[in-house]
Amino acid sequence: MSRLAGIPIRIEPPARVDGLGGGVTAILHEIVTLLERLATANEPSAIDLRSLPMSPLDRTELKRALGEGEVQATLNAEGISTIQETRIPGVWWVEHRDPQGQLIAELIDVTYVPEILARVSDEIAEGARALREQITPTAAVVAGQRGNSAGRQ
Amino acid sequence: MLDGNEDLTVGEMLRRHGISRRGFIKFCTAAASAMALPPAMGQAMAAQLRDARRPSVVYLSFQECTGCLESLTRSFAPTIENLIFNIISLDYDDTLMAAAGEAAEAARNQAMQANFGKYVLIVDGSVPTGAGGAYCTSGGKSAVDTLREAAKGAAAIVCVGTCAAFGGIPFADPNPTEAWPVAGIVGDKPIINISGCPPIPEVITGTLLQFVTTGKVPDLDEHLRPKVFFGNTIHDRCYRRPFYDEGKFAKSFDDEGARNGWCLYELGCKGPTTYNACATLKWNGGTSFPIESGHGCLGCSEPGFWDKGSFYSALSTAAWGKAGETSPTKVLEVAAGAVVVGAALGAVSAGVARSRQNRQEHQGDSDEPKRG
Repeated sequence: MSRLAGIPIRIEPPARVDGLGGGVTAILHEIVTLLERLATANEPSAIDLRSLPMSPLDRTELKRALGEGEVQATLNAEGISTIQETRIPGVWWVEHRDPQGQLIAELIDVTYVPEILARVSDEIAEGARALREQITPTAAVVAGQRGNSAGRQ
Repeated sequence: MLDGNEDLTVGEMLRRHGISRRGFIKFCTAAASAMALPPAMGQAMAAQLRDARRPSVVYLSFQECTGCLESLTRSFAPTIENLIFNIISLDYDDTLMAAAGEAAEAARNQAMQANFGKYVLIVDGSVPTGAGGAYCTSGGKSAVDTLREAAKGAAAIVCVGTCAAFGGIPFADPNPTEAWPVAGIVGDKPIINISGCPPIPEVITGTLLQFVTTGKVPDLDEHLRPKVFFGNTIHDRCYRRPFYDEGKFAKSFDDEGARNGWCLYELGCKGPTTYNACATLKWNGGTSFPIESGHGCLGCSEPGFWDKGSFYSALSTAAWGKAGETSPTKVLEVAAGAVVVGAALGAVSAGVARSRQNRQEHQGDSDEPKRG
């Protein structure tokens, strides 16, 4: 055997129900419960995928079962995060990566809009202050303009 | 070394380093995930951490191979840079710090004096006591004396790796250096054991992060390990568990069962009796863990794993669970009595002081290591 890829390895998946592993089906049931809670009690929640004993095949199947929705957001803060709406309204697949591109958290967020996308009022106020500062001429510029207009007279 | 930023909160340090609120929430979400906390805890942790003070940390290395520190530097959530620069004030680590010799020793003494009673002491490696401690010395002091001196002013001691936690490889029969775990030397401080050979990096950083966030010793198991990371066996969370339940086992490392990814129990996997987070946190940034790579668990986070017979004998035939249950475990029983799990550190300190006082009254005080 000269190449690693030449070693025949076949991973047999565990017994499946309706084409899905038991773990995937259980997660889908949990998502239904969380969606109902969001709809009736307005209570968002999340499932930490890294805390579940899932094989790579389970993960692929879960992703396929949830599909992709209309919205995908990319967040660039201490590494890239992708926030992908799934085919199911209110269910988001969130992947956080570090600056080196390693996956550091993977969640199913059950919410209207993931909180990490929203801005808070402190930040809005700070933005207003920064923008006002940007468009307000500095004292030196004002003095210079006055000097120019005096010279023209 | 002390950098003049000791009074800054974590939030202030983060702002100083230009880390945004979203970046911080992301960091906390990843940390909560690493700590197996509910995802919603990431938000709560962000709120608490923002106002928390950065604790001084003194890291001592004794009889060890530096594998634990190698592991720690590969943490990805939180990264070691984030931990050192934003969350803690790492005031002494003779391997990582730029200073050496007398300058390094002076930095440690300065940090210990300035933060007496408040600093976190991390210990890596077992402590040799044979030949008057001569098997491990630094700066003219033996490891056992250095540990005792540093422990006096520590708020808590975090033992990183199976050597510091349970004696590890140096403790293995016949233990030529008379090595002891930290709990065999220090009996009057809260001790948190993060075992593993090496421990998972995120378990080390996650435990420190939890300590900074809450200011409390986390809930510990009977071996003084944080339950959030050591609450389940590898077997409980193993993705190959369904094959065990179906009775499908690999019989050798290259047979059809192994290629099918069946359970490695009969090849000596110690997953059923090993408490750790390898099956969920995994290694190398969540890439895989030994069982996923086709090898059974060695049980490296359990006391006495080095003296329990072959790694390749099935649990049902090996001495696992029988040997190695001697001194380290008894030592830990002593230490466990000194720790009030989950209580505030102040209360813990008072409790252990009373416990120590009681022991002294009944047994007489001694500086000799506890021999179980």
